[in-house]
Amino acid sequence: MSAAVDGELSITEEQQFFRHLAECLACTAEFEEAQKTKMIIKERIIRFKAPQTLIDSIMQLTNLTPNEILQ
Amino acid sequence: MDRPDHTPLETPSQPQKLAPAEERQKQLEFQHEAVVHLNSLYNYALHITMNPADAQDLVQETYLKAYRFFNSFERGTNCKAWLFKILKNNYINIFRKNAKEPGKVDYDLIKDFYHSIKDTRVDTTEAESDYFHSLLHEEVAQALHSLPEEFREVIQLCDLEGFTYEEIANMVESPIGTVRSRLYRGRKLLRTQLEEYAKQHHFTPDAKQ
Repeated sequence: MSAAVDGELSITEEQQFFRHLAECLACTAEFEEAQKTKMIIKERIIRFKAPQTLIDSIMQLTNLTPNEILQ
Repeated sequence: MDRPDHTPLETPSQPQKLAPAEERQKQLEFQHEAVVHLNSLYNYALHITMNPADAQDLVQETYLKAYRFFNSFERGTNCKAWLFKILKNNYINIFRKNAKEPGKVDYDLIKDFYHSIKDTRVDTTEAESDYFHSLLHEEVAQALHSLPEEFREVIQLCDLEGFTYEEIANMVESPIGTVRSRLYRGRKLLRTQLEEYAKQHHFTPDAKQ
């Protein structure tokens, strides 16, 4: 089920999986719920921007000026 | 099991000196391969440390190590996965060995933490009527953090960072089958938790908007 949600099934496995879904309401419901859960995580968790001080210190590490990185 | 980072625990006395042109080449490659993942590493570090200062230290330490051992990065493989593995090892070394054993999740801290940046975020559209979509960011974050670590970890690596099962298996040093079952069980737990929050939204008459 997870592998189906994450697109990790082989082509054959995927065909078998969806053939099964076509005739199994319980699995279809579960598949949809699992997909929804994944979407919620992706959409709802905020991504932060790394603070400038951190960016600067990593820049220093590689001796590059921020301008060089931005290009 | 092969370890992509080959990061020795001991720091060698001095990394080999490169000629300026070579050093410059290394810097540029490091920039293109590794520095571009700075935001991802920072976000992941925030989630595991729950503390911006610790997260910064962790990311900085990770990049220091990555730069020093950049030669051992297998070219053509996923550099982000390599960096995450170093970050995870660093986290275990720095935080687990010190008194900084990650304890129970402090929900107030999570709340404060997210509230403090609320102004800077951009809300996605609320048009969907699905009850799940009424969930707030803080609730989803809280639900995620309420999971046992081994579940939270794989969900984050998979859903937020987009790693493949194989890459995750390598990072958490477990077979792919284990990753798959942790994802399955973790998502189930998460869903139960989210449904709980969603219910509170809809069925509590005096719920705050």
